[in-house]
Amino acid sequence: MEKTEFGCTKGAEAVLNVPPKSSIPISYHPFFGPHDDLLLLELDEKLLPDVINQRVSFRGESNEDAVLCTKSKTYAVKFVGTSNSVFLVPPSDQFEVDGNPPIASVIKVAPGTMELVEVAPKIDKLRTLLLENLYRYDEDDQMHDSGLYQWNDLTDRVQASDEELKSALRVLSAVEINGYWRIVDDKYMDQVLKMLINNSILNDWSLSSLDENKVVESLVNEGYSRVIAHHCLEVYGSKTNGSVWELDKKRVCVHFARVILLDNGKMKMESFMEEWISKVPGGMVASLDMLEGEILVEKLGIQSWVYAFSVFSLPSDPANRFSRLFQERAKWEWKDLHSYIRDLSVPGLTSDGLLLKYTRRTQPTADAEPVFTAR
Amino acid sequence: MEIKLKCSCGESSWPEWAIIELQGVVEVQPAFQDRMQNLQIGLLCRPSSQETYTFTVGYHELSGSKIPLKKPLLVLKKKMIKSDMEIDQNDSSRVELEVVGIIRQRILFKTRPKALISEPQSAVKEKVRAPCPVVEK
Repeated sequence: MEKTEFGCTKGAEAVLNVPPKSSIPISYHPFFGPHDDLLLLELDEKLLPDVINQRVSFRGESNEDAVLCTKSKTYAVKFVGTSNSVFLVPPSDQFEVDGNPPIASVIKVAPGTMELVEVAPKIDKLRTLLLENLYRYDEDDQMHDSGLYQWNDLTDRVQASDEELKSALRVLSAVEINGYWRIVDDKYMDQVLKMLINNSILNDWSLSSLDENKVVESLVNEGYSRVIAHHCLEVYGSKTNGSVWELDKKRVCVHFARVILLDNGKMKMESFMEEWISKVPGGMVASLDMLEGEILVEKLGIQSWVYAFSVFSLPSDPANRFSRLFQERAKWEWKDLHSYIRDLSVPGLTSDGLLLKYTRRTQPTADAEPVFTAR
Repeated sequence: MEIKLKCSCGESSWPEWAIIELQGVVEVQPAFQDRMQNLQIGLLCRPSSQETYTFTVGYHELSGSKIPLKKPLLVLKKKMIKSDMEIDQNDSSRVELEVVGIIRQRILFKTRPKALISEPQSAVKEKVRAPCPVVEK
């Protein structure tokens, strides 16, 4: 199928399919101009299906640098300029003109392209937003109207993909109540959990085999809402099969430790352990290793003191995380440090890479524990 | 704010756009500054069956070749969505980006132009800046 030089192919098709031993004139388009509304986005081939299925969006507020989110990942968008002249030629069926337009014409000179770099989601903002207005008791209809966020409000404000946002909400133990995503106040959760355990003892239910309906009904009878009753099971338990739940020993024990330290602040180790062991329900054994990433132990003279320092309250980006850690302590041993950095994820950087970048490692002798200080 | 990347072409492939890229800047002679529409920039020529090209702009000839892009470029078009609800809390109307095309290859002229002696004067002349690096990705 020979096409002559001035055949019917036009626009980009003509430029991309110049027959051998022929030429075509390149002109300025009748609509040539800056066309700031036309942008070029460089995209990995593997992301194209996400675009086709319309699962890709730009997220960020006007004071933030935009990110691009697919269903599961977040990418920083960087504008890369060029000093070359990049002539953009649209296909013939776009920017159509009446009359006899040129064969192939340039609609704009592109100043550069947008490129993507995979980044960690910016989820600290999510915590800040949800902490504005904690859910302190079953409010029924006396809802405050500020500091409340629905799913769409969160995707408008938080630079994270849907999946990253959902997983961050899980980590924060957030729950959707009347359409709004909320974090429930620790003290309120404490009441609900105590009531749940209390009811189980009264009714002779095993904490490792709780019937969802019975538990929820018993809490509803005490005046708690259904959604809070269910949330309590989600936060402190896991489904074993069907509607049977098992309370998670570690999560329950950690909860009681946190509430004790919340009430008392820094405590002597002995009095903390004594109170903790007395608070956890029968059949559960509290042990200090459950509290990795939740507490720090400080030695003052011969006395050990313990205080709350939860990894979940720390910034999630590495630079701020390490700065906050070294503000807390100038020197960290690995056995303490690892539980405060293992959740950090930076695309393209291993945890060793993080340590190398943000810490200085010293090891007095070959078999001594390494100590990490700020860089 | 969330700006969705719209894609109305569904499963079918996006129309392919073309890029002709050269070093430096093509300047239009002052007399033609305000009537650039339909003005011819140059002649794109494919001398053989290979993917090598020449681009003749005024007195100058550039040589280059068609190369596939390592990663495709999507052509996005920004569109304002007019909202019926004018009581929108923020006055900025919503924006939408639509994918209108894809670019998979470019014809790149990365050499300095060669002067042609007996070429007729054209309305467009090319001005080449001091050697500027070609961005290799």
